[in-house]
Amino acid sequence: MKVKSSYIPYLLILPAFAYLLFFVGYPLVQALYTAFTQNGQFSLATVRKTFADPYFWEALKYTIALAGVIVPTQVGLALILALAVNRAFKGKDLTIYVLTIPLTISDVAAGLIWYSMLSPSGFLNKLLLKIGLINQPIYFFGYQYRHMEFLAIVLAELWRATSIVFVIILAGLQMISNEYLEAAEVFGADYWTRLRKIVIPLLKPSIQSALIIRTLFAMQIFGIVWILAGRDIPILAGEGFYRLTELKEYDVASIYALVIAGLSLLLGALYIKFMKAEYLEVRR
Amino acid sequence: MSRKVHLVGVLVLVLLGAIVSGCIGGDQTTTQTTTTEEVTITWLSTQLNPPEERAFVQEQLLKEFSDQTGIDVNFIPISYADLATRLEAEEKTGKVTIDLIADLHGGLDFFASKGWLEDLSGRKLEGRTFISTFEKYATINGKKVYIPWMSATYVMVVNKKAFDYLPAGLTQEDVMKGTEKWTYDALLEWAKNLKDATGQPQLGFPAGPKGLLHRFLHGYIYPSFTGYQAKNFDSPEAVEMWKYLRELWQYVNPASTTWDAMGEPLLRGEVMIAWDHTARIKNAIETNPDQFAVVPVPRGPKGRGFILVVAGLAIPKNAPHPDEAWKLIDYLTKPETQVKILENVGFFPTVQEATGAIPSGPLKVIAEGVTAQSATPDAVVAMIPNLGEKGGQFTDAYRTAFQRIVLKGEDPEAVVKELGPQVKQLFQEMGQEIP
Repeated sequence: MKVKSSYIPYLLILPAFAYLLFFVGYPLVQALYTAFTQNGQFSLATVRKTFADPYFWEALKYTIALAGVIVPTQVGLALILALAVNRAFKGKDLTIYVLTIPLTISDVAAGLIWYSMLSPSGFLNKLLLKIGLINQPIYFFGYQYRHMEFLAIVLAELWRATSIVFVIILAGLQMISNEYLEAAEVFGADYWTRLRKIVIPLLKPSIQSALIIRTLFAMQIFGIVWILAGRDIPILAGEGFYRLTELKEYDVASIYALVIAGLSLLLGALYIKFMKAEYLEVRR
Repeated sequence: MSRKVHLVGVLVLVLLGAIVSGCIGGDQTTTQTTTTEEVTITWLSTQLNPPEERAFVQEQLLKEFSDQTGIDVNFIPISYADLATRLEAEEKTGKVTIDLIADLHGGLDFFASKGWLEDLSGRKLEGRTFISTFEKYATINGKKVYIPWMSATYVMVVNKKAFDYLPAGLTQEDVMKGTEKWTYDALLEWAKNLKDATGQPQLGFPAGPKGLLHRFLHGYIYPSFTGYQAKNFDSPEAVEMWKYLRELWQYVNPASTTWDAMGEPLLRGEVMIAWDHTARIKNAIETNPDQFAVVPVPRGPKGRGFILVVAGLAIPKNAPHPDEAWKLIDYLTKPETQVKILENVGFFPTVQEATGAIPSGPLKVIAEGVTAQSATPDAVVAMIPNLGEKGGQFTDAYRTAFQRIVLKGEDPEAVVKELGPQVKQLFQEMGQEIP
């Protein structure tokens, strides 16, 4: 059978297209329908109901605040780690291996690990009590200690998800040809100048993809918050889940899902627009 | 372009076709099994739905039943909403395929009020005595609409070390038996003693997002202080109750707002006194049966409010195999079977003979606490209201009140006045009496 060559690209994307149509397109249309209709009529009642709920604004605030603290810290940390590891030394492979272990741990498991470390009778408190630094356990959990819960979530997320950024940035670093750096050295550029003028610009594509991936995941943050803070710190995905499973408010839950999707799209677009990747070769 | 779109369309249709035909194929296999010669009865249950409980029903209970009677049972776990829809459809069209229903009291009560359930008064079960409270609730308008099958409740668990700090005038005996000295005020004093002695709050509640704190609020402390679950939601007594709870919360471990079940915090030693569902503290008692005591809840000014969860077995009107279904009811309520259910899935027996047959050990510890609670003379028994899909909104109102009054420190009177009408409206919308 002869297939017209102009069909081939379409045939090739067909499986992915069908997948997206069924698992993203259909639910998206369904969510839009559930969110914006009432008894078959277009209606903004659900939107008003959602926006009138103080939980929604708290969830939005905390989701953005968590992402705002976690994502930049992760990128900074991962950059330092990757630069430190990207040279020849004994035990390099082992170090990389150890640094990427948290990548394999689910967020719920990570939440439980950090919970048992930070709880009043947990490892950290026991240690501090034993060496006499404190004489009362530090409380990390509970509604009254929300700022500490926030800190616990940040710690757990940094530990768990920095490795994905690290892996991406390390891969980017290893792609940078030594010739550029050697040439800069010949012209007398010191380490910081080389880092600023060569390494970081060349890393931009990697940083961009790491940022996009991490920010999108940060918008969907759920398991770790649910374990460590319950609804003390409301987050968009958690509130959507609560509305759906506990209150059976499918319409309100759809709005939450759409807000997460909208935020992700917006932030993704912003990254692509404002972080134009630079390649030395094509610079004119 | 239109040809390309056409091609995509055809492929999508083929995919759709495959899925649809798959569904039809699935249906055919089920109709085949029901039309075979040997008797197969259909049992729809909203209980024992999680995978491991389902496996216990299918691999142990029903296997033994089939071996004894030669009757095959098709056990179908189902949600309450789906069960109600299916039963209504079948009863209205007269084509009933369900032989047996297992559901909570509230659901069965509703089905009975619609006239969808067989009156079981004429049938007899030998060699067992049902606990009278359950028997009473199963008889509605003079008809016995279901046979009580399993029960569950929520209790308090006390780490035995805490008994060293009892307030003056309260003995361990009072707490274990649930005498009239075991009050919410005594609990407050006890909790204060514990905090003073250990430096840390020792009381715990499952106030996390999946915890059952709302059951404590509407089924325990509300009836104890106001006499009712929802009727006096915004009464002056309720305001007093919220003030009490706010005071008590000073002695509650603050991490309670992140806990969904109290078994682990008890085992980790983070709290000495906890309240929770029996199934959710079972692991603590099983790990350390000598360290913990299961005790009745304290009483308030209006009595000792607690929730009884009862699951019953009912036969729908015009069921195809009522006699075979009755044989299954007979088997499921035998004392031996009831003990087996307790041992495997942690639901408590509804027949007296079974309570005596529980072997000593952790389950006996829990069973003794549960029995002591049920036997208290000042009991104000609460049944979980059956509001269907609105059930979530009912519990959410109590949780919201708790959050705003106890955690955020808002004025209790203003909050209950605001939420009270919402709670009562839920019952009015469902055409039910406010409990």
